[in-house]
Amino acid sequence: MLRRLLGLYGLLFFAFIYAPILLVVVYSFNANTVNMMVWDGFTLDWYRQIFGLQTTVTESATYVDSSAQLYAAVRTSLVVAVTTSVLSTVFGTALALAVARYRFRLAGLYRTAMMVPMIMPDIVLGLALLIFFITIGMNLSLLTIIIGQSTFLISYVFVTVSARLAEVDTSVEEASADLGATPAQTFRKVTLPGIAPGILGGWLLAFIISMDDLVITYFIAGTGDTTLPVHIWGMLRRGIKPEINAIATLMLLFTLGVAAIGLYFRSRRQK
Amino acid sequence: MAAPLEIINACKVFRTPEGGTMTALDGVSLKLASAEFVTLLGPSGCGKTTLLRTISGFETLDDGDVLIDGAAVTQLPAHRRPVNTVFQRYALFGHMSVARNVGYALEIAGRERREIDSRVGEMLDLVGLSGMGQRRISQLSGGQQQRVALARALAGKPKLLLLDEPLSALDKNLRQKMQQELKAIQRELGIGFVFVTHDQEEALTMSDRIAVLAHGRIQQIGAPSMLYQSPANLFTAEFLGESNLLPVTLEGGHARLSDGQGFACAHAPGRATLLLRPEALALTAPEGPALRFSGTLRETYYTGKDHQIALETPGFGMIRALLRTGGTLPEPGSPLTLHAPATGLHLIDEVAP
Repeated sequence: MLRRLLGLYGLLFFAFIYAPILLVVVYSFNANTVNMMVWDGFTLDWYRQIFGLQTTVTESATYVDSSAQLYAAVRTSLVVAVTTSVLSTVFGTALALAVARYRFRLAGLYRTAMMVPMIMPDIVLGLALLIFFITIGMNLSLLTIIIGQSTFLISYVFVTVSARLAEVDTSVEEASADLGATPAQTFRKVTLPGIAPGILGGWLLAFIISMDDLVITYFIAGTGDTTLPVHIWGMLRRGIKPEINAIATLMLLFTLGVAAIGLYFRSRRQK
Repeated sequence: MAAPLEIINACKVFRTPEGGTMTALDGVSLKLASAEFVTLLGPSGCGKTTLLRTISGFETLDDGDVLIDGAAVTQLPAHRRPVNTVFQRYALFGHMSVARNVGYALEIAGRERREIDSRVGEMLDLVGLSGMGQRRISQLSGGQQQRVALARALAGKPKLLLLDEPLSALDKNLRQKMQQELKAIQRELGIGFVFVTHDQEEALTMSDRIAVLAHGRIQQIGAPSMLYQSPANLFTAEFLGESNLLPVTLEGGHARLSDGQGFACAHAPGRATLLLRPEALALTAPEGPALRFSGTLRETYYTGKDHQIALETPGFGMIRALLRTGGTLPEPGSPLTLHAPATGLHLIDEVAP
C-alpha cells in the first residue's frame, strides 16, 4: 500500500515538473491558430514560419517580426554565449587554481566572495551593472552584455572547477615536479588532464546559462543587440502566439544537445 | 668521491594555524658516506617526513644546507634536484598508462622515444612487471602500483632515491616481500636510499644504518644491531624493540640494582639505567654470574616460536621476557623466577622517570 502511494507520489512529482514542458512541445505541432489549448490537427507550420518558409498561416496568427530579426537574435546570443563562456572558463579556472593551490591570507573570504554572484538576485545585479556602465560612460552594446554576464558566469566555472580540483591529489603534482617537470609542464601534463572534466562542465554550464539569461541581459543590452531570450520576451509582450512554442521547443532541443555532449565527454574520460 | 647526501645543521620551524610555532627540524646533520640504505625512523611528528621533503625540495630550510653528490641544492626547487621520491600513496598519474608513468622523467627530459621505451622495459623488468606497460593504473593491485611508483622513481637514474613510508599501505606478507626486494634493488643499482618509516621492525630489517628521530633531532644513528644492543638514550631503547629498563646505582666498578643485586661494571659512578632485552631472560640460570628476578607470572602469549610473558615483580614492576618454546610454563598467577647473565650488560646514562 505504502509502496503504491510512494509510486504515485513519484509519478505526480515528475508529471508536475515535466508536463508543462511537454505541453509546449505538443502545442508547437498544433494546427489551431486561434486557441492553442485546443488540438486541431498536426502541423509543421510554426516551424516553417520560423525558418521563413511558405505557410498556410494567416498573418494575424503570427508575430509581425521577420525571420531575419529572430536569426539576428540567435546570432547575438551565440556570439555572447561563446565569448562569455570562454572568458569565464579561463578566469574561473585560474581563480579556482589560485584559491586551491596557494596559501594566502583571507583565502576563505575570496572563496565566499566568488560564490556570492550566484545567489545575488538577478534584478539587483542587472541594475548594479547598468548603473556602473552609465557611471563610467560606457555605451550599452554587445561588449557590456559580455562583461556583465562574465561577472557572474565566472562564479559558476569557479565552483565547478573547484569541486574537481578538490579531488585531484596534490601529491600527484609533487610527483611530477619530483621527476623533473617545471611548474608549466606539471600544469600541462598532470593538473590540466585531471581537472579537464570540471573545466568542460563549467564551460558548458556557462554557455547554457548565458544562452538562457534574460533579466541581467535585459538591463545591459544595447538597443541594437538583442539576445534570443530578450527577443522572445519582446514577442511575449505582444501576446502568446503558437509560434513561440516552436521556438521554445528548438531551444530545449539545443540545450539538451549541449548537455548530452558534455555528458558524453565526461563518461569517456572516466573510462 | 663526493658523499651522495650531506645535510648540515638543518633547521625548520612551522607556523601552526593557531599562531604558534612547531619546530620540525632542530639542527639535524646527516651524511651518507657511500651508496647506503639509511632509514629515518621515528614516531609521527618527529620530523622525519619534513627532513625527507627538504631533501626532495618540497620544503625549504630556515637554516642549514643540503648537498647532493657534493653540490649544494638548498636553494634549488624540487624539479631541478637529482633525486626522486617514492610517495606514500604512490601518487601515480591515473590518466597515463603504466609505461608513460614509468617513462615520465625521461619524457620530461626530452629523451628519444626509442631510449624511453627501452629504459621503461628495463625498469618494468627490474620491479617484476614485465609486459604490463600498456595497463591502466586503475587495473593494478596495490602492490603492483607500488612497483610502478618505484620503477617511475628509478627510471631517471636519480643520484639518490627517497622513499616516504612506501610500504605502509600493503598487507604484512606483501610488505615483507617488498622489503627484501627493495634491499636487493638498492644493492643492484648501487645508489643511496633514504627510507622513512615509523615501523621499527621494517627499519631493523632493511637498513645499513638507522637514524632515530624525535622532537626534530637525530637521537642516535648507527647500524641496526648497534642501535638495538647499545642504545645511547632511553628514547632509542624504548622505540627500538621491547625493553626492560631498570635503575642502577654505580660506584667503584660495581653496579647495584634497587633490590640489592649487583654486577661488575666499569662505568663512571652515579645513577644510570640498565637495559635488559626480553630475549636475555631465561627460565634456567646461566653459567657464571647472573641476575635473578622473582615474581608472579601475569600474562603469557604464545606466538609459535616463543612465549611472550609478563612477570610482576615487587621491586621492578612488570618485567617482559621472550622465552623459547619447549619448556613448560606454569599457569598465570603462579610464582616464577627468571635469570639473566650478568655480563656484557648495556647501561644508559639517563635515569628513567
